[in-house]
Amino acid sequence: MTAATGTFPEIPFFDLKVEEEDLEAVAETLRSGWLTMGPRTEAFERTFAEYVGAGHAVAVSSCTAALHLAYLAAGVGPGDEVIVPAFTFAATAAAVIYCGGTPVFADIAGRHDLGIDPDDVERKISDRTKAVCAVHFAGYAAPVDRLKEMCDARGIALIEDAAHGPGGSLNGKNIGTHGLAGCFSFFSNKVLSVGEGGMLVTDDEEVAQQARTLRSYGMSSGTWARHSQATTTYDVTALGFNYKLDEPRSALLASRIKRLDADIARRRELIMNYRRALGQMSGVTLPYRDEDVATASGYVMPILLDDPEFQREFRARLRERHGVQTSVFYPATHEFSAYRERYAGVSLPHAELAARTEVTIPLFSHLTDEDQQRVIDAIEDALR
Amino acid sequence: MSWRVPLANVEIPEQDVEAVLDCLRSGWLTMGPRTNEFEQRFADHVGSPHAVAVSSCTAALHLSCLAAGLGPGDEAIVAGMTFVSTPNAVRYTGATPVLCEIGGPEDMNIDPADVERRITDRTRAVIAVHFCGYPARVVELRELCDQHGLVLIEDAAQAISARVDPSGRQAGTVGDLACFSLFSKNQLPVGEGGVVTSPDEQLAAKVRSLRSHAMTSVTWDRHRGYADTYDVVDVGYNYRLDEPRAALALSRLGRLDEQIESRRELARTYRRRLAGLEGLGFVWGDEAVEAGSHFAFPVLLPDQAARDRFRERLQELGVQTTWYPAIHRFSEYREAFGEQSLPSVEAAAERHCALPMGSGFSSDQVEIVVESVQQALADELGAAA
Repeated sequence: MTAATGTFPEIPFFDLKVEEEDLEAVAETLRSGWLTMGPRTEAFERTFAEYVGAGHAVAVSSCTAALHLAYLAAGVGPGDEVIVPAFTFAATAAAVIYCGGTPVFADIAGRHDLGIDPDDVERKISDRTKAVCAVHFAGYAAPVDRLKEMCDARGIALIEDAAHGPGGSLNGKNIGTHGLAGCFSFFSNKVLSVGEGGMLVTDDEEVAQQARTLRSYGMSSGTWARHSQATTTYDVTALGFNYKLDEPRSALLASRIKRLDADIARRRELIMNYRRALGQMSGVTLPYRDEDVATASGYVMPILLDDPEFQREFRARLRERHGVQTSVFYPATHEFSAYRERYAGVSLPHAELAARTEVTIPLFSHLTDEDQQRVIDAIEDALR
Repeated sequence: MSWRVPLANVEIPEQDVEAVLDCLRSGWLTMGPRTNEFEQRFADHVGSPHAVAVSSCTAALHLSCLAAGLGPGDEAIVAGMTFVSTPNAVRYTGATPVLCEIGGPEDMNIDPADVERRITDRTRAVIAVHFCGYPARVVELRELCDQHGLVLIEDAAQAISARVDPSGRQAGTVGDLACFSLFSKNQLPVGEGGVVTSPDEQLAAKVRSLRSHAMTSVTWDRHRGYADTYDVVDVGYNYRLDEPRAALALSRLGRLDEQIESRRELARTYRRRLAGLEGLGFVWGDEAVEAGSHFAFPVLLPDQAARDRFRERLQELGVQTTWYPAIHRFSEYREAFGEQSLPSVEAAAERHCALPMGSGFSSDQVEIVVESVQQALADELGAAA
């Protein structure tokens, strides 16, 4: 293990700034004494649905929870397969296993595009395929237009893992709104961050209703409904979960979403700066094209090293010489011990190469031009 | 219309608000130093060596069932009088919850004799619920589980600080694993949250791993430079708590003992003021009141119809109440397991009603509850006459 310095980075790969108005929103919620999912969560769901242009938004405890509910909405159960990319966080595949289904891994397009490869998806569709999950990697839209046609033609559900959204779009339509359900993350390092939290969006009223019921134990009424005297008792009509968000987090999200467009604009500006500077350097390849940036959420800045043996050393140099933290988005899911044990013999050349060459460099909306220049200089030095 | 007295009330004083705001200002929201400190303090409070903070008590139960090794083909015996997440957690693992009897309407906790009758070759665990914060007979169950090689899980969602034996040993220290809730209505509320405690380092490590996708390092480790990558060694979950909630829980933990005492005092007041009223009975005895930590205060009515009328009358008078339906009577459980008969659970479910309980009620509010109960019972007698 390199880079295990036991010190905080001078420039982290993500950073989160909570503004005064956010603090006020949380303080006011806490002082109200009502913490259980209620009016603030309902209000934020409406705001979010409108922001992404979806009919319904259901707030949940994490994007993992949203994916679980989305797969259940697609009817995934024992014996069913869901085609997922391997170049993503493990939750995309894990949530299939929660349903009793089998994740079937598809490769990514290549070094120019780290999103799922529709041709490989097509090859992997079988009689047992119940759904396809597309990850909008780094906030760049996956080819969900093509995937949607492919899925519709076969009666398969398209689920979007939009953890790296919101704010990205394809053909003028927001990512997360192209399939049966879209799943968003509000984890700390995300574009819209709150600690732990997630959202399922859908245009299908039944899907929304099912998600609402299942996030709260399959109960026919919630605590808020009983407190507000809409009802005094409940039945349990399905095997549900506790995937509820609470009011302080909803209040924080409602406050932060007001600045989201400005944050994303700044992220895109920083990405373009990086592309101009790093595009000149040898030894590194930038996925995606300049013109893709304007419709991306700007979640993270992935770069690809040309030498697969260099990833650890490169990251160690950035960290140790320059105090620059990086990450790897992602180790390939099918190569983790847990997945190798369960699904042996999976070979995905593009995902495997990307996992060995990808380095995620610092990107957050309040990264200053000066600090960005330090990162650029550090990369130039580390590549030498 | 708003309640004159709601079922529960959460007061969040400025010191709690400040603790949360401090955390938010730090910009570090992912499980990290505050969560670590909360786990340590929580473990100390309960008197257990290991505590793992999670996203809810449901998550705590799920992870405990997984750590106990439950899977398809296994059975876990579960108290029949509880919230639905107790048996649900067993089902998440593919195992079958076997609901069992309670002592009866006057003792709504798990009946160890009935547990023993339900043990089969497939039984792997027993989940005892400390219902409403009144301690279940876990010391007895511990012996039974040891004799049969079963894992004992305590569902202590409602019972932080309850005492399970005369030495003052706390709920959550007898089982192999114990699950606590930090839900808004509970004694230590933060919104959504939970904790698993265990005396066993390996079980705690398993829970810790599975709460964060079985990743071999967490964001906080990587941020500090203690790790630069990770493996995923099992199918795990996102059951993490975050730092703002850990900060709130930490801030509130210092006042927990006095708040539990205030709840206990309210239970004593109810029992004193409502004693001897015709048509009203209590659950448990004085000893249990002293040992309990008082999540809720259930009382008994003669039958279901009387209970429903009682609740309706209290609602008219502005007093919120609740009750726990029997799990095996829910549509979902009828469909999944067919019709089952658990007479003690059914009688308790039909007859009980939980009155407002908490540490922040004013004496005026308590008076309203007492008078409303008296009124409701008087109306009932008047109607019968």
